[in-house]
Amino acid sequence: MKNNIKVQRAIKDITQAELAKLIGVSRQTINAMEKGKYVPSTVLALKLSRLFGKHVNEIFELENE
Amino acid sequence: MKTNYLFPYKLKKIALFILLFSFLGATYITVFEYNPDITNIKTGEYITNKGEVKPHYENIANEIVGMSLIVSLLLLAFSKEKEEDEYISKIRLESLVWAVYINYGLLLIAFVLFYDEDFLSVMIYNMFTLLLFFNIRFQYYKFKMRKELSYEK
Repeated sequence: MKNNIKVQRAIKDITQAELAKLIGVSRQTINAMEKGKYVPSTVLALKLSRLFGKHVNEIFELENE
Repeated sequence: MKTNYLFPYKLKKIALFILLFSFLGATYITVFEYNPDITNIKTGEYITNKGEVKPHYENIANEIVGMSLIVSLLLLAFSKEKEEDEYISKIRLESLVWAVYINYGLLLIAFVLFYDEDFLSVMIYNMFTLLLFFNIRFQYYKFKMRKELSYEK
């Protein structure tokens, strides 16, 4: 699964640490998600969606297997 | 995320402290085969062939050390992180599965290679290795995560 959290974060102009604090996870989690090493839970995805004001589909995208 | 099966974070430091002492104690007892006199206690009585009643003494140093090793390893393994979230839960779970594989893999090898008293020693060590392997792998991954983070801005 691909995501553009890094881009969304740049648009909002916030750091990994700030984003982490806003959605209540550690900075490591944000970093792992941006690198595509971790697929977040639905709850976390919805929290990101709410924060960025974008649909989940606009942040996360399925990749062809 | 709420997890109700973990110990509070503040126990982590206490666990590390107990672990250090019990590890030193365990090394001392196994390597030097030394048991201090204070831990020699009377556990009961027995009757000799001549019909005399004599006290039975048992050194409880290894019991104390073994129990504190298990308790401290458990607390270290399963107390919450400072920032407990779903990603750390995933790493914890992965480490647990990995530790079980390694532990039983080694035990299978030990089944073939060791017999009698040697195998008994293997079993004694095996009481602690599962938790030990878990802790090593879990701590290593947390360390790796933190290191990766220091390159990012």
